[in-house]
Amino acid sequence: MNIAVTGGKGGTGKSTVAINIATILSKKYKVALVDADVECPNDHFLLSTNLKNEKKEYIFRPRFEYKKCVKCSLCVKNCAENAIVMFKEGYPFLIPTLCSGCKACQLVCHFDAIQNGQKEIGSTYLSKVNENLTIVTGVLKEGEEKSYPMVLFTKKRAEECGAEIKIFDTSAGTGNHVAAAIESADLVIAVTEPTPLGIHDIKMIMNLLSKQGKKGYVVINRSDLIPMDKSVIADYPIIGELPYSDLIVQCYLNGKSIVESYPECKESKIFESIIKKVMSWNLL
Amino acid sequence: MELVIASGKGGVGKTTFSTSLAVLLKNHNFGIVDADAEAPNMHLIFDISKWDQEIDYAEKSLAEIDYSKCTHCKICLENCPYEAIHERNGKVEIKKYLCEGCNVCGILCPEKAIKIKSKEHSGWIRVAKTDYGPFITSELDVGQPNSGKLVTEEKKIAREWRKRGEIKHIIVDSAAGIGCQVISSMSGASHAILVGEPTKSSLSDLSRAYYLANHFRIKSYIVINKYDINPEFTGIKDFAYDNGIEIIGKIPYDKNVPLSMAYKKPLVIYSENSKAAKAIKDISSVVEQLL
Repeated sequence: MNIAVTGGKGGTGKSTVAINIATILSKKYKVALVDADVECPNDHFLLSTNLKNEKKEYIFRPRFEYKKCVKCSLCVKNCAENAIVMFKEGYPFLIPTLCSGCKACQLVCHFDAIQNGQKEIGSTYLSKVNENLTIVTGVLKEGEEKSYPMVLFTKKRAEECGAEIKIFDTSAGTGNHVAAAIESADLVIAVTEPTPLGIHDIKMIMNLLSKQGKKGYVVINRSDLIPMDKSVIADYPIIGELPYSDLIVQCYLNGKSIVESYPECKESKIFESIIKKVMSWNLL
Repeated sequence: MELVIASGKGGVGKTTFSTSLAVLLKNHNFGIVDADAEAPNMHLIFDISKWDQEIDYAEKSLAEIDYSKCTHCKICLENCPYEAIHERNGKVEIKKYLCEGCNVCGILCPEKAIKIKSKEHSGWIRVAKTDYGPFITSELDVGQPNSGKLVTEEKKIAREWRKRGEIKHIIVDSAAGIGCQVISSMSGASHAILVGEPTKSSLSDLSRAYYLANHFRIKSYIVINKYDINPEFTGIKDFAYDNGIEIIGKIPYDKNVPLSMAYKKPLVIYSENSKAAKAIKDISSVVEQLL
């Protein structure tokens, strides 16, 4: 079973929800917590785990063989990212940070003048929290524009865990890099907060989910922080409401899950009830 | 000045800080840019009800299959670098919310059945007047690539205003992360304020945002938000010291912040004398010195 945790707005509590449900599920199942927020991965901090087992990830990058190049400019014209520009003498030249590694240039070159080069775009890590729980982390190299390929590498690396349940923690935002992190999920949890900002962005995420043909369940975090007009999200099923909690903040700061530190507190019971609902749908 | 507000981590207070800063700097002719096209929020705080200008945005192109030619051979599916093509009931289909428009499928299709088609609409840019200066925001349709390009378009408009003398300075509220939107937000900026909170997560993300700012040779400053929630944590302070970055303000945790959002008002308007508002006022006078 794959579960995605997303939300649109940043800082609503995606990672807090993800690490806590991962911890609960790891009592019974082999769980991979996939940190697909490759621009700013933080799940390992929340579980006080150091990143381990680094694997550098590379994408294709064109290497021009100028001896063979006939200056036809087909590669320049076919680069969707405008990452290949023409030099004055007519030879192609790559702007590496714009290149997404799609290989369109190599495919259109009739003269075998574009060889396979590679570019490191970041690393993936497998870090064991305990026997049953592994965090899979993708870290995009600073300065790289494209997080999408890194999300795909992270998902691929997660396959190595042999997990029964994968939990994908996505980045903020609603673009296709978020869609990619959600795509293999059987169930999506969208975390929001009761501010107009949270509501605006949860609507965008739910819109994305409907395009993906997925059903999203809403968790309202810090639900008692300010009064909220719930009618604005009446169309969406709410699967849990977490109150503002100093205990959650404290656990966050200490790098521990609340469900492990205080299994009997009311917040932990809410996480338990979310999992109970999810498991009752028999998606495993 | 072209000031960018960034943080790496989401939800640390960028929008609260930048909307209030814009209010406090209103006599200095700032243009205000919301550079989070995937989850724009600034317009909610300014509570904008009327747009002066709405521009459709249609940069994006997507692959489209001509089913009269398609033989469902799956060469496209096997070679799509973005895993954006799948098979359903024996039919090859493009998932539009994943497609990057790279045309690898179109190049490889033996039947020439795939073409890249321009879309009529993939987002919009909107412009409005506020009491604090002209404001630009944008929204990319969900599941689209390249939100950074939309941010670049917004900044072009703001820079045009500056060229014409309608504004003197620009403030850009960037997205979370360090990807294309943040790179576009930082490109060409003169100053950056990096907002962090005293947590390991925020420190890690802020240091990544700082790396970018440094790459663009932008002079960076740090603001610590909710500085009092974790007094033992000195990570941000140590990071600032080690890298020679000036910390220009510390904002305390303040319940008026979420309340100001509920009432759709910038914090310094909603509760002028709150602890957090006062801290932002102090920071704005530091920013004034930099103009």
